Amino acid sequence: MRRYVWLLLVLFAISIPARAISIAEVRKSLVRITTTAQEPNYRIPWNPGSVGGGTGAGFVIEGNRILTNAHVVSNARFISVERENDPKHYIAQVQFIGHDCDLAVLTVSDAKFFVGTVALSFTNQIPQIESSVSVYGYPIGGDRLSVTTGVVSRIAFQQYAHSAADSHLAIQTSAAINPGNSGGPVLQDGKVIGIAFQGYNGEVAQNVGYMIPVPVIQRFLKDIESGHYNRYMDLSITTFSLLNPAQRKELGLKDDNLGVLVGSVISGGACDGALKVGDVILAIDGHPVQSDGFVELEGERVEMPEIVERKFKGDSVQFQILRDKAPLEVTAKFTQAWPFQLQASQYDIRPRYLLFGGLLFQPVSRDFFQANPIDNLRLRFLYDSFVTDEIFKDHPDLIVLSNVLPDPVNTYVAGFRGGIVEEINGAKIKTLDDMAAAFAKPAEQYVIKMLGEGRPIVMERAGVEAARERIKTRYNVRQEQNLSE
Amino acid sequence: MSRNLFLCALLSASLVGFTPSLLAKEAGEPKGEAKAAAPVPALKPISVVRVNVTSQPYDFLRPWSKRPPFQRRAVGAVLPGSRVLTTAEQVTNATYLELEKPDSGEKCPATVEVVDYECNLAILKASEPDFLKPFKPLALVEPKVGDDLAIWQLENNGTVLNTRALLTTAEVGSYPVGEGGFLLYRLTSSLQPRDSGFTSPVVKGDELAGMLLRFDARSQTADVVPAPVIRHFLKAADSKDGYVGFPRVGMSSSALRDPQLRRYAGLTNGTGGVYVTEVHPGGPADKAGICVGDVLLSIANNAIDRDGNYLDPRYGKVSFSHLLSCEHFDGEKLPFKLMRQGKEMDCEVTLAHPDPSQSIIEPYTLDKAPRYYVVGGVVFQELSRQFLKEWGPEWTRKAPQRFLYYDRYQDELFQNDPRQRIVILSNVLPTPCTVGYEELNCLVVTEVNGVPLKSLADLEGALAKPIEGFHRIKLQGHPGEIVLDAKEAAAIEPALMRNYGLPSVKRL
Repeated sequence: MRRYVWLLLVLFAISIPARAISIAEVRKSLVRITTTAQEPNYRIPWNPGSVGGGTGAGFVIEGNRILTNAHVVSNARFISVERENDPKHYIAQVQFIGHDCDLAVLTVSDAKFFVGTVALSFTNQIPQIESSVSVYGYPIGGDRLSVTTGVVSRIAFQQYAHSAADSHLAIQTSAAINPGNSGGPVLQDGKVIGIAFQGYNGEVAQNVGYMIPVPVIQRFLKDIESGHYNRYMDLSITTFSLLNPAQRKELGLKDDNLGVLVGSVISGGACDGALKVGDVILAIDGHPVQSDGFVELEGERVEMPEIVERKFKGDSVQFQILRDKAPLEVTAKFTQAWPFQLQASQYDIRPRYLLFGGLLFQPVSRDFFQANPIDNLRLRFLYDSFVTDEIFKDHPDLIVLSNVLPDPVNTYVAGFRGGIVEEINGAKIKTLDDMAAAFAKPAEQYVIKMLGEGRPIVMERAGVEAARERIKTRYNVRQEQNLSE
Repeated sequence: MSRNLFLCALLSASLVGFTPSLLAKEAGEPKGEAKAAAPVPALKPISVVRVNVTSQPYDFLRPWSKRPPFQRRAVGAVLPGSRVLTTAEQVTNATYLELEKPDSGEKCPATVEVVDYECNLAILKASEPDFLKPFKPLALVEPKVGDDLAIWQLENNGTVLNTRALLTTAEVGSYPVGEGGFLLYRLTSSLQPRDSGFTSPVVKGDELAGMLLRFDARSQTADVVPAPVIRHFLKAADSKDGYVGFPRVGMSSSALRDPQLRRYAGLTNGTGGVYVTEVHPGGPADKAGICVGDVLLSIANNAIDRDGNYLDPRYGKVSFSHLLSCEHFDGEKLPFKLMRQGKEMDCEVTLAHPDPSQSIIEPYTLDKAPRYYVVGGVVFQELSRQFLKEWGPEWTRKAPQRFLYYDRYQDELFQNDPRQRIVILSNVLPTPCTVGYEELNCLVVTEVNGVPLKSLADLEGALAKPIEGFHRIKLQGHPGEIVLDAKEAAAIEPALMRNYGLPSVKRL
């Protein structure tokens, strides 16, 4: 939908081969979704953000629910849905949304909406390469239903552009997938094999569209059965292929093409305590791990993380490892999804910030950087290395002085823009809450030490107090802080 | 009298650009020149010489080889004592240097006598002692802001192209290498490009006022290495104990304009002083007991204002760094007045030139072959800024971010680090030994065979002690460790050298 800019308009001749399910039946399931969304403004975080919108597709699944892409209904303020052959617009609500897998489930309060609809069912196998598929939706080029066909081109891990930080299995198809196709079903032999969700700009590639395959959809639907979406689990380790004969010999491995080296283990991650750097993973949940990091799953060679893709919160994973040449079995438990989301695009949250004496402090995030292209090496490095260098230990929030609203109280502070807050009056600042607490503590002056800066920012309380209303009025600040998403 | 002389000099200088015959008649040439049957009159002796340089920098991504050679031309200023002054940039990584007489085209090989990359100056010496005899050496002059200067370039026919330039500003600014910068003259001039590039002497009358550092054609402004910097350089070059570079005090400071910060720093009256933001460990300021948070009030009785300037008798407000590094020399002791927690205090700082090779990440590695060691195909090097500059003009964005971060904040990050250098795995040449490692590059190496690497020099000893027949190479971060078969790595050395054209597997 609006997340992808398509420059080339591709006209497609429609030809629908005979299939087990008639187009009439697909029409009974297909839903056109119109969303009005409000995207937060990370430059002026107290503003409610600009209102935009778009249309996408969805389809009815069992339980009187509508399945669509998360990006179709992200940041939604109002969602209306329409059926084929029914002029009425119904109001829909997001019941569950998974931004890491770009899926959402909607409900419609008016029960009449579902009268006469048919819930589509899912295939229970991954389609064959080169088998043909049909894509249904409401893409650019007109208002009515559109169908395109193509074949399954490739099945592999892909980055999901919606969060920009997650990779899952995706099916590539040659069927045209255009803006507005998002959320629509992709059918083969009358069953859903995926949901159309992303593609390339026409300048980059042609006939490369992607759908979210059934395993990812089923995982989402199962996850939300608990009444809450717990997100994907993650091992929080890196592995290194063991292809070098000398390294294999030194680690005590046979020449059998099995095993990968644990290259790093992130503190606080699922494997912290179970695995160590230097361990060799020989098998995961009983599946032998090949030396390039692949495992065999249901007859297919897939990457090792695919095993973890099927895990839920509370599940465990079992490793057979070699530690100091001795075989060992270890178990890692998934107690929570990875908590730090700043490197992913985030939705349905309000930007956190704190304004003090005209100084705007914000925790950095992907969305923050997109709005504030601050080119500061230290900030960039700490953000990019947030996980690998475990920056989160000292700075769960990397709080940056993102802007200065000019006022006599802060005339000489502008040069600190882009700096990271380290201490206030001697107290370490780890989170935005810490910062709010430090400023709430009565003091004559607030000495703000920035990371790596020898010169502190000094703000005298009296001056800040006197400037408060003046700054709020002059810059139309509705609220001086927002500490919670 | 002296005023008249000066006017004369100015006249002849500006006339050099005109027809040689006119000049020859007016100036009254030295007696030695035969006037008999020569149809072409000889030129008035001039003070500039062409400097032709062939340079060949090292390739830090393939440290065993050099980049293709290239040629540059510059105009050098002839100094007393048969020496030629040019910029260091011009002669950096030179493989062959020659001086060329502008009129006759006569050439003579030359050598670099003294070079200082930080102040961007070099002294050249002709290999034939008499080669520079016909030239008229230039004396040094210090102009004032507002003075009319001239830039001397050379035409193809050997005459001097004399372009007027107005000295608009004298301020401390950045130089091509090193930190802190030095005094610069800013000129406004409509300079034309010539084959000698923009490395040319800047004169006042017929005395040397500076050497052109860079010229921006769009804004028509030129930055010039000024006479005070040249004077310091020449004096240091004449030192009997060998050349020592410009001294530094080893601290950074920030303006103290903010009244809130002034009150915090305990400054209740006065308007001057700067806030010390950084003290280089082991540097002169550190040794004198100066701390971050101190306020610097004066240096050698020169009051420092709140922007960090002192009042220079010639140039007015100039950053105090000029006073320290240019007006004084390595080893000099200067009294500093400070304010610490509201109390004034005095200390004495012994200025010293910071040796760039003492930095954990060298700020520049010029005219010096990079050190490297190739083991079985794994290339080890020492992290340097020169290595990062291999990423091209936009290296500060394109080079590996972690290394850029280490370089920029090295004083802060490696303050108590026992290492002298950061040893890196720069890349891997695929060989039978390095199967599976081909993609590894730009990683920090911490240990080899259990021996911590303080510099690349430690690698040789570490490799002498393989563990159970393996070289264990420990890396910082993913993938943790890689392993080579020690015997195999030694055995493939000849094939590796032949295959990749390495003259040697190491240079230490």
